[in-house]
Amino acid sequence: MKQFYQCLTGGALLCAALTASSSTLAQMSARDILEKVEDAQRTTTNSAFNRIQLSSCQFGVRDNQITCAERPRVKALESVGINFGPQNKDTRSVSVVLEPPAEKGIGMLSVTYDDSDQDNETWLYLSALGTVKRIASGNSDDDTEPASIFGSEFTTEDQDTGKLDEYALTILEENTESGREVWKIESIPNEARARKTRYARTVQYIDKERFVMLRADMYDQHDREVKRLIASRVELINDVWVARSLTMMNLVSNRLSNMAILEINTGIDVPEDFLTQRTLTDVAFRETELQKLREQID
Amino acid sequence: MSRAPRFRLLLATLVLSPLGLVYAQDIPDNIDGFDFDSVNFGDDLFDQAQSNTPAWLEPFTFKLSQQLFAQVNEHSVTRADGSTDRNNAAIENSRFSLLTRYQNPFAPGWLLQASAQAKVYWPGDYEYRANDERIDTEFRLNELFVQRSTSGNSLKLGAQTVVWGENIGNSVLDVINTSEFRDLTIIDIEDARLNQWLLVWDRFIGNHQLSSFVNLYPEFNPPPVRGSPFFFEPAFNLTDYRRDQALFEIGSQMRWSLAGSDVSIMAAYLYENQLSYSAPPSGTGDAQSMANDYLLLGASANRAIGKLLLNLDIAYSHDILVNILVTPADPREAAYLATQKMNKLGATLGFEYAIDNDQSIMMGIAAQGALSPAARLAGNAALLGDEVTGNALLRYSNNMRNGDLQLAVTLQSALDAASVLGSVSLNYTLSNNLALMGQVIATSAKRDSALATLDQDLRMGMTLSWTF
Repeated sequence: MKQFYQCLTGGALLCAALTASSSTLAQMSARDILEKVEDAQRTTTNSAFNRIQLSSCQFGVRDNQITCAERPRVKALESVGINFGPQNKDTRSVSVVLEPPAEKGIGMLSVTYDDSDQDNETWLYLSALGTVKRIASGNSDDDTEPASIFGSEFTTEDQDTGKLDEYALTILEENTESGREVWKIESIPNEARARKTRYARTVQYIDKERFVMLRADMYDQHDREVKRLIASRVELINDVWVARSLTMMNLVSNRLSNMAILEINTGIDVPEDFLTQRTLTDVAFRETELQKLREQID
Repeated sequence: MSRAPRFRLLLATLVLSPLGLVYAQDIPDNIDGFDFDSVNFGDDLFDQAQSNTPAWLEPFTFKLSQQLFAQVNEHSVTRADGSTDRNNAAIENSRFSLLTRYQNPFAPGWLLQASAQAKVYWPGDYEYRANDERIDTEFRLNELFVQRSTSGNSLKLGAQTVVWGENIGNSVLDVINTSEFRDLTIIDIEDARLNQWLLVWDRFIGNHQLSSFVNLYPEFNPPPVRGSPFFFEPAFNLTDYRRDQALFEIGSQMRWSLAGSDVSIMAAYLYENQLSYSAPPSGTGDAQSMANDYLLLGASANRAIGKLLLNLDIAYSHDILVNILVTPADPREAAYLATQKMNKLGATLGFEYAIDNDQSIMMGIAAQGALSPAARLAGNAALLGDEVTGNALLRYSNNMRNGDLQLAVTLQSALDAASVLGSVSLNYTLSNNLALMGQVIATSAKRDSALATLDQDLRMGMTLSWTF
């Protein structure tokens, strides 16, 4: 769940797909483009209040359309977070599960640091335990296998940010995708990064006008496409283009996950004492503060 | 598609459709050769389902469960006195339960929360047998409290739990609430903990939380339920505590966080959760129960180092009862059991380690013993049992298949290994609402152990749960 929030606060793949600024530059390098996408993303995830639904299913094809072969597993949660620290790259967030019913009320407080020398901090609240529990989570930059986010096809790797130095970036071509003009940018990890990633190569399709990623193809070391990310429902929110629906297809397991941003609200004033352990256990306090956040939006 | 796979698919559809597991109308075509460059999801693939739940039902969560559990190893058990008992292979648990939870922040700063459980004991269940072979029912209110929170304070009044300590499962500080280990399907303290009627006041000051409670109606661990694996036929009737005087408990905990650590200190005036019983003066009828008050001082801390979390709980109990064996000076008189107040020191040391993103291992060792017993005991008295007692708890968990399949392995043992319990459980999430858990529990105990009657028992069972 910690990672689930992070996808909204700093993801090279996911978050590039989520957001983009509205300006267009004629001649930019691949790195310039992706930095611009990440910068825009940071402005939208700071002081943010979001509601997200994550649906996963085994998929197949029917009438030339991708369709679920089973009733999708649905997870929904509400998140509030702020960025802080040097260059606003650290994140403090609270996430609470709304669905499924068996997990309703599970809460997590996360503090993630961009500095890999500093361990992230995570506290979990399960009503069955009756207390807040610290979780030893290490640092997101640890040399570990990418983790699934909420059992979905999205992984922590899909949301890594600030790692552009570790990739060779090339504009392959300028093309169209979903009727939009895009840059096709190839990212190949360097040796150090290659040890931590499951993708030997990624090709991202960045909207040239909106700086939002519309599609990403991920390849393994045999240059076989293993995953594909499709973004849709791109909307202008607070002068930033946001894709409100992201679908990740695992082409090996034929399973897909959709991340739908049901609500996205940025630039709100989050009280400092809201992003504390109290919010996990004190439901009366949490709901009161959430109501104040909602009133800011209204 | 060949005929056999088609048949299996049809069978699966027919079996699973009533459970909502299969979209019968959406069984897809073969995707081999599909051109993913022209992928089209359709706009309604993941449209959010419109909830038909009435507003008044929104605060509720329901969980329906059917449990079937059996002792499957037919064998004989030899007791300490040399007698033998036959442990037959038989169903122990066949029960249906409805767990209801209600959580309603009905006004700004206010919360009403409640949870309750209703159970039906079917034929085969030990409670059915104890009820003269008739279907039995039980209703229990777990939580019921109202909460008022302001910017820096929170007050909670009602039935609730207060959990102290960093270690889960065997913390020496987790003694505020009573508990009931009714049978072997409930082996985790978080499932066995009973709520108490408390007033809890939390004061939040920056990074610090001062949490205090008052309990004006302390309760005690209930005696074993007749027919359960833990039930033994007592020499006298074990009744509820006779409240001939007003009882109360009170305590406070200060908790704060540092970089990589959480620290707590606490103090409380409590009653031991377990009543002390003595024979009735008349020699027959109800046993005399005694509630023993004592003072608890404690401290707890954790420390995260990468993927390792260390936990430490320390408890000092002042004037707690210990069992002693008194040998009269007159050799013609038999030795007898008694209790004496002493001071005890206990600690739980544990760690949790995240092996990887899906696997973790946790261990906790709890030990406690009387301080300077020799100095406080009369010359003809001795502590009954070991000077240091405690237990060890080891847990391994593994999330597989994107979290749909959860494996948990638990090993619990007394410090002297007089009794050991091993459990393997698999929890499979079948859908958004449906889950199936299978569990195997093996127990081993020495003849002189309190759990001697469970030696070589092997229990297997499953629980089907529907949450909505």
